[in-house]
Parts: sequence; structure tokens; C-alpha cells
Amino acid sequence: MNNDVMSLLAGVIDFFSQPMNWQGPGSILAHITEHITYVVIATLIGAAIALPVGIGLGHSGRGGLLAINISNIGRAIPSFGVIILVFLLAGFGVMPVIVALVALAIPPMVTNSFVGMREVDPAVRQAAVALGMTGWQRLWQVELPIAMPLIMAGVRTSAVQVMSTATLAAYVGLGGLGRYLIDGLAVRDLAQVLVGAILVAVLAMATELLFAGLQKLITAKGLQ
Amino acid sequence: MNWGWVASNTHQITAALLQHVQLVGLALLFGFLIAFPLALLAVRWPRLYGPSLAVTGVMFTIPSLALFILLMPFTGLSMATSLIGLTIYTLLILFRNIVQGLRGVSPSVREAARALGYTPARRLFTVELPIALPVIVAGIRIAAVTIIGMVTVTALIGQGGLGQLFITGFTLSFATPLVIGFVLSVMLAVAVDLALVGIQYWLTPWQRGVR
Amino acid sequence: MTNDHRQRASAEDRDTHDSSAIVFEGVTKRYGDGTVAVDKLDLTLPAGELTVLVGPSGCGKTTTLRMINRLETLSEGQLLIGDRDVMSVDATRLRRQIGYVMQHSGLFPHKTIADNIAVVPRLLGWGKKRIRERVAELVELVGLDEALAERYPHQLSGGQQQRVGLARALAADPPILLMDEPFAAVDPIVRTHLQEEFLSLQRRVQKTIVMVTHDIDEAMKLGDRVAIFAQGGRLAQFDTPAQLLSAPASDFVVDFIGADRELRRLALERLDSLELDAGLTAPRDEIVARARSYLQQAGSGGIVVLDEQRAPLGWLDWDTLKQADDRARIDSLSLKPWRHRLYLHDNLRSALNALISSPGEVMPVLNAQGRYMGVIDQLQLTRRLS
Ligand SMILES: Nc1ncnc2c1ncn2[C@@H]1O[C@H](COP(=O)(O)OP(=O)(O)OP(=O)(O)O)[C@@H](O)[C@H]1O
Ligand SMILES: [Mg+2]
Repeated sequence: MNNDVMSLLAGVIDFFSQPMNWQGPGSILAHITEHITYVVIATLIGAAIALPVGIGLGHSGRGGLLAINISNIGRAIPSFGVIILVFLLAGFGVMPVIVALVALAIPPMVTNSFVGMREVDPAVRQAAVALGMTGWQRLWQVELPIAMPLIMAGVRTSAVQVMSTATLAAYVGLGGLGRYLIDGLAVRDLAQVLVGAILVAVLAMATELLFAGLQKLITAKGLQ
Repeated sequence: MNWGWVASNTHQITAALLQHVQLVGLALLFGFLIAFPLALLAVRWPRLYGPSLAVTGVMFTIPSLALFILLMPFTGLSMATSLIGLTIYTLLILFRNIVQGLRGVSPSVREAARALGYTPARRLFTVELPIALPVIVAGIRIAAVTIIGMVTVTALIGQGGLGQLFITGFTLSFATPLVIGFVLSVMLAVAVDLALVGIQYWLTPWQRGVR
Repeated sequence: MTNDHRQRASAEDRDTHDSSAIVFEGVTKRYGDGTVAVDKLDLTLPAGELTVLVGPSGCGKTTTLRMINRLETLSEGQLLIGDRDVMSVDATRLRRQIGYVMQHSGLFPHKTIADNIAVVPRLLGWGKKRIRERVAELVELVGLDEALAERYPHQLSGGQQQRVGLARALAADPPILLMDEPFAAVDPIVRTHLQEEFLSLQRRVQKTIVMVTHDIDEAMKLGDRVAIFAQGGRLAQFDTPAQLLSAPASDFVVDFIGADRELRRLALERLDSLELDAGLTAPRDEIVARARSYLQQAGSGGIVVLDEQRAPLGWLDWDTLKQADDRARIDSLSLKPWRHRLYLHDNLRSALNALISSPGEVMPVLNAQGRYMGVIDQLQLTRRLS
């Protein structure tokens, strides 16, 4: 068993040190690029759908609880099933992966942006009305800046989840870091699987750090 | 939708659903049993809190599929493989929520309980846990719903509950089993979620009417 | 300044802010759930005056206040500011012309103090320079340290936050100011301080102010007029504090103003409205024998000893005097000092307090320079009470 682990680690180091694995199509860098592309596209589309919904509901305060419950149940949508289903319906291409990842990205962003907007102190909200701000002015000048840390936390959660789930793309013949998992599984090459896992984990952590920095940058000083 | 296929495969469908429920239930149970004492330790010794959050955070970034595959050399294509993987994920979610819930008990309440002469254990079970309950149940809800989706991935290592229907659909290029698996797993999530909300409502009478 | 005085000032003000009297005509507010918060209210709040709304909890004070800047819409009746019906003007424009101060300051946590104060001027599109000058002016006006301007709200004390709330409400110099329990969230000492400052501020800015409070003392102290509400949003009486005390309209008003309303009335009158007694005095270099004969002639229990500037040194009583050596100077004896100093501009309630702790049966009254003007005694005050 100990030997197994040692040889597994040796395999991983061997994989990373092969120059061949760093060049051309199918190289580590190519897979990383593909992977990041899926993640960025899916997170952006997800944000474009989820944030207006969460923010809008939070701002108006209407129908929110229902939306939150629906969105929480949305977390139960099995990404694996969505990928295969859309693959059967739309055929080979990035479409199945993007659809599944967008569905995955939406719930945390809706929930967080809604909660962020609702948690703005009612006294502050009321002061903004009493000072004669219009709905848009309240939204942009008061509520959004105050809710921003929570909204960003939602985007961050989504991005990290999408990052690790994007590995399923390989199951329907696409690229990305999931290739190492699916191919490794097929030929029982655990070293290759571990390589994929490490790369995804590193990317996910990089995403966390990136967002943590971003969050600090755009959070108003008075709220820190 | 091909209802004929559904009719002739009810046995396979119910078996998949049962396995799904079983995996989710056991993962939640084991996850809770491990997360709870760990959370108590982290609350008791706040120095453990930061590092334990970091560790659970890092583990959460490992793709579930990779975790399942990497467990295979130890436990093979058995149910244990998927169960261990799923338990690890529930553990991560539950640990964070239990700690957060217990730390959310206001110091004045804790102080009052101490002043009234509660022993630490009694204080934990009759004061702190009930107050932390809503946050803990919220964690269980998220864990349950997340795990219900994640179980399907274990189909790739020969388990998978309703995920098996996805593989069937994929290999046959046939949408019906996919749709069935899909609908059942979402319905399962809704049912479990509602049940947990109900349990919380029943356990926290003082919160009724408060939004 | 007395209430009379303030009312005179506001009469002049009426010309310049003619448009800002607030008139309720048969105003009713019914909430969605059927609660009648305000019931057929007829009330005219004169321009340039400070009107205080008081009443038991839940009687509709806040609702009344919030209808003025349309934070609540009326269910029935008409609400006019000057001759404009508030329902006929644009709500956001209306609100920018009416300052609003809340119990909890409601400051924007993500903006600095200066930016918080500048909110309405920015909404109104003022130039940068003008805003900067106005902010500096307001920081000074509400008595904040200018070093605080670049801080964030959470770095300020409750009292300071409340001042910022006031500055923000005054920023665009609105003719009307609405305040909902503005001093309720700060401790009693800070509250008294803020009230005093607010009164002097109001003397300078002379706005039409409507203030809600729970505290009848605060109402009597600050209000030119006080509107007392009864449960269910009905108006029980609307009058000046002095009128409320001398002619309460109903038992409800009597109860609400409280059992010690006689004492309250004392608080509304100043010593200079009283005819002071000359009192019995002696300079400090007087000798004991002469002082003794003064006392015997006047039949008094003691004498006020004054220094060269005619400031009271202390009370010399008969017991001390009768044991003393005839030729001794009276300032070599043990004089009893007064714990309080009473000036002409103090009110009769402070006088009563001072009198109770006075070593003698009288209490000396001083002018602003600290010179002796005369004495008051219990009898004068009780005569005033009945
Ligand atoms: N949004 C609302 N919906 C329904 N009823 C309301 C609403 N706001 C206030 N009320 C009710 O209207 C009545 C008057 O409320 P209001 O807030 O004006 O009282 P208040 O005099 O300011 O009380 P307090 O002194 O406690 O602040 C109360 O009975 C209150 O419960
Ligand atoms: Mg009120």
C-alpha cells in the first residue's frame, strides 16, 4: 500500500516533468486554457442571469422567499444529467457543458445577491427614500455598494464550484482538465487522475484568492 | 418520453432511487457524526478554527469525480467508495455550519447560562445547540441538496443511484431514462428539503412567526 | 430665550418662509391591515415654529410625520405645505426639500461623514466647490470636529452620528425639518446637551420643524407648540406648553402631562419675571455686634454676607452669631456656602431645587456678572404656583 502511494506520486512527478506533456494540443496548458474558457463563459452567463434576478428581487423585496427556495432546490439539479441530456438533444459541442455549468452557477449567485440586498439596514434604506433618492439612485448609490461583499461572495462560490464541475465536460468528448480524470479512469492510470485533481484544485484555489482580492478592492472602506 | 420503457423498467428505476436515498442518507448521517465533534472542538479551541476552515476549504476544491477515482485503489468499485467521497463533502459543509451556528450564540446568552449555574455539557445541549439549530439545519439542507446532485457522478465508478439512468440514457442515446432520473432526483431534493424545514419548524417553536 | 421670544422671532420669519406652514385637513391614514393610525386629523403647524408631537406609543405620531414627506400616503383628506397639496407634487422632489432625521441616524455605512452630509446637494446637482463649502459649514453648525469629516459612520459615537444625521437633513437648507425621536437613542446626558444645542441652532436657522418624541419633558422644553395625541390617532390638544399646563383640555391631557405639572410650569418661568426681595445683607468687614442687631430688628434667622464685589460669600446664621465675640469681623466666623448658584435667567424649578438645599431659608439670586440682586424664598414660589 505504501508502495502504491509512492509509485503514484512518482507517476505524478514523472507526468509533470515530461516536456511532451507541456507542448502542443492536448498539453497541460491547452487543457487548462480549455477548462478556464468553460468556467469563464459559464460564470459570466450565469452572473448575467442570476445577479439581475437576485438584486431585483432583493431591491423590491417581493416574491423573494419563493425565489430563494426555488434557487436552493436548483442546487439539486445534477450537472452530470444536464450534460448528457443536452448532449443527446443538441449533439456534440460546448453547448451541453455550458448549459450544465450555467445551471450550476445560478443558485448561489441568486441567493447571495438577494440576501445581500435584503440585509441592508432598513433604517439606511428608509433614509435613502426620505432624502429623496429615486429607485435607481437608491439601488446604485446605497444598496448595491452595501450588498457588494455578499454578492461577490456568491460569484466566488459559483466560480469555484463551476471550476471543479467543469471536469465532466470530458465525459461528452470535450477537453479541459476532466480529460485526465476520464482518460485516467478508462485506462486505470491513477497518476493521470491525480494530475487532473491537483490542477483543478490549484485553479480553484487561485480563483478563491483572485476573488478575495477583488472583493477587498471593491468593498467600500466604511464597510471593512 | 417513452412510457413503455418506463413501464418495463420500473424495477431498475426503483432500485436506482432506493440506492440514491440510501447513499444520501448514510452520507448525511456519517458526515454529521464526524462533523459534530470536530465542530465542538473547533469552537472549544478557537485556534483550531482558522486552520480547520482552510483545510476544509481546500478539500472542497477537489473535483468530486477525482476524489471518487482516487479512492478506488483502496475500496474498489464498491459502495464504500462513493459513500466515503460523499461523506467527505457533507462533512465539509456541515462542519462550517455547525461551527458558525455555535459561534453565533451571543456571548451574553452564554454568560447568562454560566451565571445560572449550568454545567458546560448542559449549557451546550439545552442552550447553545437549540439557538444554533436554525443555522445547523440550514447547513444540513445545503448538504442534502448538494449531495443528491453529486451522487449521480458516482455512476462513473459503478454506483450512482439515479445516475445509473443517465449512463443508460447516454449509452442508448435515449432521453427517457435521463429525464426520469433527472426529475426523480430533483423531486427527491424538494422532498428532503421540505422535510428538513418541517423538522426545523417543529424543533424551534420560538422562531415561529419571526421571519 | 423664552417661548414668547421665540414666537416673536417666528412671526417675522413667516414672511420669508410663507410657503412652509403645514396644514392637515381631515387627514386619515388606514394601513393595509385595517389599522387606523391617524383619524380625521385637522392641524395647522405654523411656519418657522417648532411643533412637537407627543402621545402614548402607537398613537400615530410617526405616521403623521411620515405623511408630510410622503413616506406614507394619506388614505383620506388633504395635506398642504403652504398652498401646495403634497399629493400633487413629485415625491422625490418633495423629499429633497424636506429634511428628515430618524431615531437611529440611518447614515450610509459605506460613505464618509462628508459624503453622507453631501447626499442631497449631490442629488440636486450642486457644483463640487459649493458642496465642499456647505459640508464644512454644516460640520461646524452641528458642532462636530472637522477631523471627523473623513471618517466612516461606524467610527463615531451615537451622539456624533446623530449630529451627522441632523447635518445631512439640513444640507440643502430645506425650509422644513422632520425629526422622529431624534434624541431617543443617546444617553440622558448627551441628550440634554444635544437638546440645548438644537434649541440654539433652531434660533439661528428658524425652520418649520416637526418633531416626534415620547418624552413629555422634551416636548415642553423644545416645542413652541405641542400636539398631544391620544390612542387611535386622535388629537387631544394642540397648544403652547404654557397653555397646556394652565388650561389642559381633558383628563387625558392632565394625566399625560403628569402629576408634577405644577413643577413643570415652574420650569417655564424665569427668575427675572419675579419681584425679588432685597433680603438682609452685610459686607464682609462688618462687626458681629452690628450684624446681631440687624438680625434682631428684621427677625430673620440669618444674613447673606457679601464680598467687595457684592458676590455672596456665605450664609451667617443666628446660632453662630450669638456665640461670637462682639468686636470680631463677621468673615472670621464660619459662613455656610451655597451648593448652587442661582442667576436671573434660571427658571423657577431650578430655584426651587436650589432653595431646598440652601443652608438658610432664603436663596441669593445673582445677575450675569455674579453680583447679588436679591433673594427668593419658599413663600414667593408657592404664591407663584397657585
Ligand atoms: N406599516 C404598517 N402596517 C400596519 N400597521 C402599522 C404600520 N405602521 C404602523 N402601524 C400601526 O399604526 C399605528 C400607529 O403607528 P405609529 O408608528 O405611527 O405610532 P407612533 O405613535 O409613532 O408609536 P411609537 O411611539 O411607538 O413610535 C400603530 O398601531 C401601528 O401598529
Ligand atoms: Mg414612532
